[in-house]
Amino acid sequence: MSQFVESTAVRSAPRWGYGATVRARRVASLAGQMLRNPATAIGMGIIFLMLLLAALAPLLVPENPTGTYQMPRDLVAANMPPGTPGHPLGTNVLGGDMLYGIVWGSRLSLLLSFVVVGIAIVMGLLVGSVAGMSGGKVDSVLMRIADVFLSVPELIFPLTIAALLGPSFTNIILALCVVIWPRYARIARSRIIQVRQEGYVRAARSIGDSRFNIVRRDILPNSMTPIAVQATLDMGRVVLLGATLSFLGLSQAGLAEWGRLVSIGQSGITAGWWWSSTFPGLMIFLWTLSFSLVGDGLRDVLDPRTEGR
Amino acid sequence: MRQYIIRRLIALPFVMLAVTMLVFVLVRVGGSPIGIYLEPGMTKAEVAALNERFHLDDPLPMQYIYWLRGVLQGDLGWSGAASAPVMEVYPEKWAATIELALAAGVVAVGLGIWLGTFAARRRNKPPDQFARVFSVAGASLPNFWFGLMMLIVFWAWLKWFPNGRYDIALWESIPHPTGLYTVDSLLAGNLTTFLDAIWHLALPSIVLGYVAAAMIVRMMRSSLVDELGRDYVDAARAKGLPERIVIRRHARRNALVPTVTVIGLAVGALLEGAVVVETIFQWPGLGRWMAQAVLAGDDATILGYVLFLSVSFLLVNLMVDLACARLDPRISLQGSD
Repeated sequence: MSQFVESTAVRSAPRWGYGATVRARRVASLAGQMLRNPATAIGMGIIFLMLLLAALAPLLVPENPTGTYQMPRDLVAANMPPGTPGHPLGTNVLGGDMLYGIVWGSRLSLLLSFVVVGIAIVMGLLVGSVAGMSGGKVDSVLMRIADVFLSVPELIFPLTIAALLGPSFTNIILALCVVIWPRYARIARSRIIQVRQEGYVRAARSIGDSRFNIVRRDILPNSMTPIAVQATLDMGRVVLLGATLSFLGLSQAGLAEWGRLVSIGQSGITAGWWWSSTFPGLMIFLWTLSFSLVGDGLRDVLDPRTEGR
Repeated sequence: MRQYIIRRLIALPFVMLAVTMLVFVLVRVGGSPIGIYLEPGMTKAEVAALNERFHLDDPLPMQYIYWLRGVLQGDLGWSGAASAPVMEVYPEKWAATIELALAAGVVAVGLGIWLGTFAARRRNKPPDQFARVFSVAGASLPNFWFGLMMLIVFWAWLKWFPNGRYDIALWESIPHPTGLYTVDSLLAGNLTTFLDAIWHLALPSIVLGYVAAAMIVRMMRSSLVDELGRDYVDAARAKGLPERIVIRRHARRNALVPTVTVIGLAVGALLEGAVVVETIFQWPGLGRWMAQAVLAGDDATILGYVLFLSVSFLLVNLMVDLACARLDPRISLQGSD
């Protein structure tokens, strides 16, 4: 890692002008390198299609007037197989159109991953930088708190928190935020401790930069690499965790959410209604898979020593 | 070494305290669990007496201390989801979960180490590509969906495997001193029930074990690839040892060190995966009980489960550290914390 730190440990350049061009060029070159790996390219392709699905949702399937993320209920056409006119992917036991669930569910997954990962990064950076910059008691207390979250399997806290808050999608998001941040705090803190002794940070301190400025201008830009990799992987994983909670009954009934839809389909498998669990579950799988492929690809490109592992 | 174990064992209760305290506060902030004790037609005085009896009017820290005192006396409270004291239902459910988790662990470790070795020996050839797909897919596969797909194909459609934990008639035909169906069958010397147990275990243990196997394959492969590039492997080959022996006696032993660490983490995946897998396969264990308790707001069961899970997870990881020190004498546990 240290080898890499040196290569990017550049004091951030002025906001616009030369620095921005360099950065844009670097991003373009990274993207080019990533696309050369077929697995990463497949992942990026799936993500692109998912984003397209979410963006074009209203054009693909008309919005349900009773509620955008409510499954429309076609009461005369429950358990219709795929290929039924008007229901290309069939309907579930409640008469919900599977295509509607798939298409509009992608927006919920997108929302979930952006909000959870976004909040987790902000919280993690905040806690991690305070801990790393303060050191001593503050550091140990904050990191012991983070350790409590990391010391048990990751489903346990969200499960109890979502149960306590009551079944709703918002509560799933909140519950996931509580458990995802400690990893970012750890990353930020370890980076700060590494970078704190570097010459350019000491130089900044010697010319009287405030701690806040040092963190913002020198330390955070240099912590971005591992955070970007972790965030990409988490974009997929939180959807998997959220769908698991939703599957266990912790989202609202009738929500067009993939985990919920798999759970509804459960009851019909002996009757041969395979489609109503299969399609939404496949979407969760593809979503998580694509972000983990891209996350791995990103790591290979940013830290070449792990390539081929 | 001994110092390290002692230090870890001393730290263990503190981590436990922190985890249970956090969960306790979370479930109690959600509201008083008085609901499960109430019956229609109770007077205000009776409700007050109940509150008094279960210390529900006391401040939160006091309530936690009462709960903790109960735990130390072997009393985990009343489970609303099971309509019985937690400790009464616990052993039976515990046995069901442990049996499933052990079977899944055998699948995961066996498959993981074998496939990881297989892939590392044929680096960048089709078996290696397969192992890569296997592990990447395993990390992204929703286990509840995978379980349902297996049930749709092998239970509902092909009818090859059953659902649930046992055939009730066979289960009742033998005594259950341990609660582990396979062990009880062997003790009773009954082959039919033993096969019934294995037959019921097959699907859920594959589904539960897969995620863990995926983690193990990935680590086993990459650490074995590293080891195979070392000088001592060249030396072993140069003195004419067959490749099989080079891998089995030399490289794999070293490659197991990081893999064992991952196995410790995989145990966490097995324990939490049980919540979902038991729900799908109608498996009467702790996980399904937890899933029901979460929906029913059954505090005592949730706390009991969290306690079980964190104790097991922390103990397993302590054992993992010891196993690593055993496998690699260079690891000194003295200085590390």
